[in-house]
Amino acid sequence: MAKIKKTEKDELIEIRKELTIQRKEKEKIAVELLLVRKELAFQDKEKEKRAAELGIANKELAFQDKEKGKRKVENSELEEFSNSVKLASQYSRSLIEASRDPMFTINPAGKITDINNASISITGISRENLIGTDFFNYFTEPAKAKEGYQQVFAKGFVADYPLTIRDHKLTDVLFNGSVYKDEEGNVLGVVVVARDITEQKRIEKELTEAKIFAELATGIAEEAKSKAEDSTRIAEDAVKSKQQFLSNMSHEIRTPMNAIIGFTKVVLKTELTAKQKEYLMAIKMSGDALIVLINDILDLAKVDAGKMTFEQVPFKMAISISAMLHLFETKIQEKNLELVKEYDPKIPDVLVGDPVRLHQIILNLVSNAVKFTTKGKITVSVHLLSQDEERVTIEFAVTDTGIGIPETKIGKIFENFQQASSGTSRLYGGTGLGLAIVKQLVEPQGGSINVKSKIGEGSTFSFTLSFLKTKEEAESATKIVELDAEIRNIKVLVVEDIALNQLLMKTLLDDFGFERDIVSNGKIAIEKLQTKTYDIILMDLQMPEMNGFEATEYIRNTLNSKIPIIALTADVTTVDLAKCKSVGMNDYIAKPVDERLLYSKILGLVKKPALIKIDVNEKIEEKKSKCIDLDYLIHRTKSNPKLMMEMISLYLEQTPPLILIMKQSLHDKDWQALYSAVHKMIPSFSIMGISIDFENMAKQVQEYASTQQQTDGIPDLVRQLENICAQACKELEIEFDMIKNTPL
Amino acid sequence: MKNEKIKLFLVDDDAVFLKSLEIEFLQHADFAIETFATGELCLQNISHNPDVIILDYFLDGIDKTAMNGMQTLDKIKVFNPDISVIMLSSQDKIEVAVNCMHHRAFDYVVKSETAFTRLQKIITTIFQYKKMEKELNWYMERM
Repeated sequence: MAKIKKTEKDELIEIRKELTIQRKEKEKIAVELLLVRKELAFQDKEKEKRAAELGIANKELAFQDKEKGKRKVENSELEEFSNSVKLASQYSRSLIEASRDPMFTINPAGKITDINNASISITGISRENLIGTDFFNYFTEPAKAKEGYQQVFAKGFVADYPLTIRDHKLTDVLFNGSVYKDEEGNVLGVVVVARDITEQKRIEKELTEAKIFAELATGIAEEAKSKAEDSTRIAEDAVKSKQQFLSNMSHEIRTPMNAIIGFTKVVLKTELTAKQKEYLMAIKMSGDALIVLINDILDLAKVDAGKMTFEQVPFKMAISISAMLHLFETKIQEKNLELVKEYDPKIPDVLVGDPVRLHQIILNLVSNAVKFTTKGKITVSVHLLSQDEERVTIEFAVTDTGIGIPETKIGKIFENFQQASSGTSRLYGGTGLGLAIVKQLVEPQGGSINVKSKIGEGSTFSFTLSFLKTKEEAESATKIVELDAEIRNIKVLVVEDIALNQLLMKTLLDDFGFERDIVSNGKIAIEKLQTKTYDIILMDLQMPEMNGFEATEYIRNTLNSKIPIIALTADVTTVDLAKCKSVGMNDYIAKPVDERLLYSKILGLVKKPALIKIDVNEKIEEKKSKCIDLDYLIHRTKSNPKLMMEMISLYLEQTPPLILIMKQSLHDKDWQALYSAVHKMIPSFSIMGISIDFENMAKQVQEYASTQQQTDGIPDLVRQLENICAQACKELEIEFDMIKNTPL
Repeated sequence: MKNEKIKLFLVDDDAVFLKSLEIEFLQHADFAIETFATGELCLQNISHNPDVIILDYFLDGIDKTAMNGMQTLDKIKVFNPDISVIMLSSQDKIEVAVNCMHHRAFDYVVKSETAFTRLQKIITTIFQYKKMEKELNWYMERM
């Protein structure tokens, strides 16, 4: 039991110890609890504070809750809106993707931020690889590309900025770009659209090339043109200078020839020994030959220049031809040849054509015939080949029994300066121009020329020409004869500066028996004209002080004189002749002056105006007095005023309607009515003493109207008839009143 | 017979010419004259029994519907073939003249200054002719 006691005691000690520890612990905890209590109290305070704060927060939250509700609505709206925006943007996106023009967006750093499909296909690089890379890397000129988008940033846009995309084929593009901004207006980047202009470039290139070609071609053409113009000018100059040369030569040669031949003729008329006469004849013949040559050359020049004109005047064929053949009589007699004329009597008396040219043709042919014939005869035949209502065709033939032409040469003889054999001119003389001229004269008139020839037997030259028929009377011929009496009184004014020519003209005119005054220039001539009257002026063209053209112009325009003026000219090229006509000269004579020609021209011109003058006077008188003549009526009515008045009033009643019908039917081309009206008018002309001319005119109208031919001439005739009838009516009215008022 | 005036018809559409003829006939001889502008008028008055009719050939010139000279001539001849008709025309054409003669006109005269004188002579001839005819008839009857 001790032990147990001990153990117990130990235990007890242990417990005591324990208990003390526990007490101590308790005390510690109490302290701690105290602290905790303090802490709790503080925390309570804090808690109270927080509760108050929470209360406020609570209120706040409640408010916020409300706000949240509102926002939810807005949010759903926004969501809807954002959906539609999304749709729109998808739509725009699809548009952008569909565009065939490459589009890029670039940020300010120059990196690509977006692209469309076209960009991918053109660069051949995938979208992923493109976005975020440097824009300018894709161009042949990066610097320029960079500058391009920098320009967009700087200016806000760029238009048609040319660049070349560095793809497999180097596509040329034009860039159009503009910046895009956020809401605040900050620049976010640029959008650029590239337009593929390969096609345009190609076209442009082609265009440029074409342009260059065109320019080249134009250049070539212009060159060619200027060359052509040059040659034309040269050719024209050549023609002109040729003409000028001919003109000058003819002038230079003709002037001295004028004096030589003229004075030879004058001397020939004086007392001479046989020898002297022989020598002078030789001089004259040589001179004549020279003049013929010059005339031939000038004629050819005229033909060459296309200036040969053919007149259409009425002339008497038979007289014309026999007069011309007359010229050869002496020569033919000298050579002891026979001249046979065969003239077809069926040829109408008067024909219309160019007698001068016809002369020239026959003259050339006959002079050839005479020249080459030493024995036998020369036959000139004129035959009517055919005729219709308007024209006749006549064949002229000149046959000789001369040396003939070898067949091989026949084709050549019509060429300039060609003779059948080169020796011909040595033997027979001549220039070889004659036949060329003949051909040139026949063919333009619509004729043809033929040759038949046999060596040693002779040749026949024949040509055909057609002439118009006419009812007109031919001029000249008969007139010269009947005029002889009065021509002695013709007063001629010669205007000529060269003393030699003055003397020559003086001699010639004295020979003709004309009165003449000679002055040395146009100025003196005009002074002379104002003091004295002349019948005709012979006017040289080139004179000091006032030349022939100026003088003529003055006479025609200032003096208002119609005096005939014949130009005396050594210069007979076409140019001058045209000028002569244009200033109002009536005719011209080439120097050296041919006596006969001068004589006939003076007579022709002096006579003609005389006739015209009379005509004019008559007409004026008629107009001044009356177109009617009541003699017939007075005679018929035995001056019975009542009957005369009856007649006149009937005429006055009947005529105006007839005129109306006449005019109307002409207008309507109703030839039958025209015929009738005019027909009915005819008897009244003679009753009222109206000139027979008008009656004939009316008959002509009637004839034209019935045959319906030459209707062109009708209007003029009708107008004249109308005028005369109107005038007659007027006069008859006066006459009527006079008779009425005359006391019986 | 001679105390009876010779009755003359003048037919022409040309009033002036008609009048001038009338004046001439009145002055140069003692005729009883009636003038007509158309063939129709002439025929209407044919019962007046003219001895001679001077008839224009070209009566339908202005009035196209008018009877022409030849038609008038034929009708006159139907009425009384003994009436002598002298045709008058301003055209100097053989065919016209011959044609007139075929239609039994007594003569054909071209209008001119001398027309009147010729007409006068023709009229004289007509009466000589008629006289001869009468005489011939008279003798024939006696035979």
